[in-house]
Amino acid sequence: MSTPGSIFSTGTFRLSLGSAGFLAAALLLQSALIFWQTTSYQIMRTDLMLSREAALITAQSRPVLDQQLRMRASDDLHLLIPGAGLFDAQHRVLNGNLPVWPEGLQPDGPVRQMVVNPIGQGPRSVRAQALRLRNGDILVLARGLRDLEEVRSVVLRALLLCAVPSILVALAGGAWLSHRALLRVGIMHRAIDRIMSGDLHERLPAGRERDDLDRLAGSVNRMLDRLEYLVDEIKGVGDDIAHDLRTPLARVRTRLERARSSPEGGEFMGEAIERAIIDLDQCFAVITALLRIGEIENGRRRAAFATVALDELVADIFDLYEPIAEARQIALVVVDCEPVRVHGDRDLLIELLANLIDNAIKFTPEGGRVEVGAETSGTNAVLHVADTGPGIAPAERVAVLARFYRSDKSRHIAGNGLGLSLVGAIARLHDARISISEAGPLPRLGCLIEVTMAATSIGRP
Amino acid sequence: MPRMTGPQVLLIEDDGKLALDVAEDLGVRDFVVTVVGTGPEGLERATSGNFDVLVVDRMLPGLDGLALIEQLRRQGSRTPVLVLSALSAVDDRISGLKAGGDDYLTKPFALAELAARLEALLRRPIEARESVLHVGPIVMDLIDGTVLRGNRLIELLPREFRLLEYLLRRPDCILTRDMLLEDVWHYRFIPQTNLVDVHIGKLRRKVDAPGEAPLIHSIRGAGFMLRISN
Repeated sequence: MSTPGSIFSTGTFRLSLGSAGFLAAALLLQSALIFWQTTSYQIMRTDLMLSREAALITAQSRPVLDQQLRMRASDDLHLLIPGAGLFDAQHRVLNGNLPVWPEGLQPDGPVRQMVVNPIGQGPRSVRAQALRLRNGDILVLARGLRDLEEVRSVVLRALLLCAVPSILVALAGGAWLSHRALLRVGIMHRAIDRIMSGDLHERLPAGRERDDLDRLAGSVNRMLDRLEYLVDEIKGVGDDIAHDLRTPLARVRTRLERARSSPEGGEFMGEAIERAIIDLDQCFAVITALLRIGEIENGRRRAAFATVALDELVADIFDLYEPIAEARQIALVVVDCEPVRVHGDRDLLIELLANLIDNAIKFTPEGGRVEVGAETSGTNAVLHVADTGPGIAPAERVAVLARFYRSDKSRHIAGNGLGLSLVGAIARLHDARISISEAGPLPRLGCLIEVTMAATSIGRP
Repeated sequence: MPRMTGPQVLLIEDDGKLALDVAEDLGVRDFVVTVVGTGPEGLERATSGNFDVLVVDRMLPGLDGLALIEQLRRQGSRTPVLVLSALSAVDDRISGLKAGGDDYLTKPFALAELAARLEALLRRPIEARESVLHVGPIVMDLIDGTVLRGNRLIELLPREFRLLEYLLRRPDCILTRDMLLEDVWHYRFIPQTNLVDVHIGKLRRKVDAPGEAPLIHSIRGAGFMLRISN
């Protein structure tokens, strides 16, 4: 039994966790932008006011200026303008609450951000400006960034107020979705466990395939359909094979049993044993053919691939089967045969052709005709075998080439009945296409089998 | 009781029951059979003993059958070897022959098939010195392709000529259907119809005319034989 696991290990939860992270980052970025915008505006305003103030003060006469500097040091204005001082050209203190010249400040230079230390106030971050008076003395004014600090704390509070609940909601949502996904996965796990324990009819809940999990379940279900079909097929084949083996084996057994209890010994016994061996050989033929199909289907035989001349193959096979056809009063003829070569296994292609001819001769009645040939069609080579037998019903044409197929018709015909299955396996190994059709128009029915594969060269080399 | 003059066979096979059956059957057929059950023992006996032919199972405990043959060949032994295998794969057969085996037989096999193949390994086919095969009453000219039985000219198709030539080179030797398919037609598959019988039948009608002593015989449960001895 597989365990569904905790919601924290689900894909959905990890996705939500990621989303929450992105949400937090977005909020942070947003706040930073607001803060940056506000700060620039504040600094601009501060600088503007500082310049106006300075212009106003420097316009005063010297005694008024001194007076104002003293007042500034004590009245409420020092909240806004915490620092003000008068220095001589050598930066020595003349008046005001700045104990030392602010290092780095240029007379008549731009407004600068710096830290000053006004008497009785402690260090403060300010915007400062220095202006040269007409007599050479220098006036320094420093304006605090008090508003800015307020803005900063507001933005930070807003950020916390927004971000924390948003992220919590995102995480809770993720957990809920994960829980739901886990429930569905749990159902699927249980379904899969039932399938694994042998219930191949079971399917995963796929719904209407609206989301990815449903679509995946749908795919798995289609795979299970195919698997179930194949398993049923093999089971059917297994039954068939068991039957095909049991019939001759039963005959063997009966015959041997009768021979054992028979009072006539000698000749009867010999006959019984002879026939028992023939039946056993038939069993072996079925087993050998099955093993051979398996071996070819496993596709390990391409090592023996080489260039094979199909027309020569046709000539060889004609040579081998002509006497048989003649003995059955069937005309075996080579038609439409042109030189064409393919890349393949000569032994297997011979076997393929031999099985096709074997079948054609077997199913063609006396006085009939079997035609064989190899020709080119575009860049392809085509082996064709046509007969004047009963033909293969359209419904059976795909099935006969499948692995282990036995037509009911073939049961009373000698042979293991697996010939066309073997042909199918060899064709698949050669990436060849097999088509089965009527050999000719009515009333001359019959079967035409064409094996089409890529040609390597056409004509004589 | 086998005659001590029969050909000496060393059977290296780990399936004891099968080995016993094979040994008894070959014994009846005038072979003198020694059975060993493991690879190393087999190699030792093959090297020390004086055997005419070896039958080696592919899968043996201790030392694989093919490795055994390779080792034997490296030691310079030229004793013919027949490989037995439960594997049907054709590639397997090729690797068996490559390792130095002279013939290959897949289990299950007919005892008659094994005996026929051993016989064939023991007897070298007749070489034609003057490109004329003269066997019994038959004279086959390999150059101009004519065949005479006594004074009667036998007209043969090329495939019939090839088949008869194969038979003439192995007189008084049982030739199985599989051997003929493999050696005359070079086919390694077992056809579903009695192809070989039909070919032999056609050839026999031409070679053994009515009134003549039959040369080509069917051997029940085994195959065919061109018999010239009495």
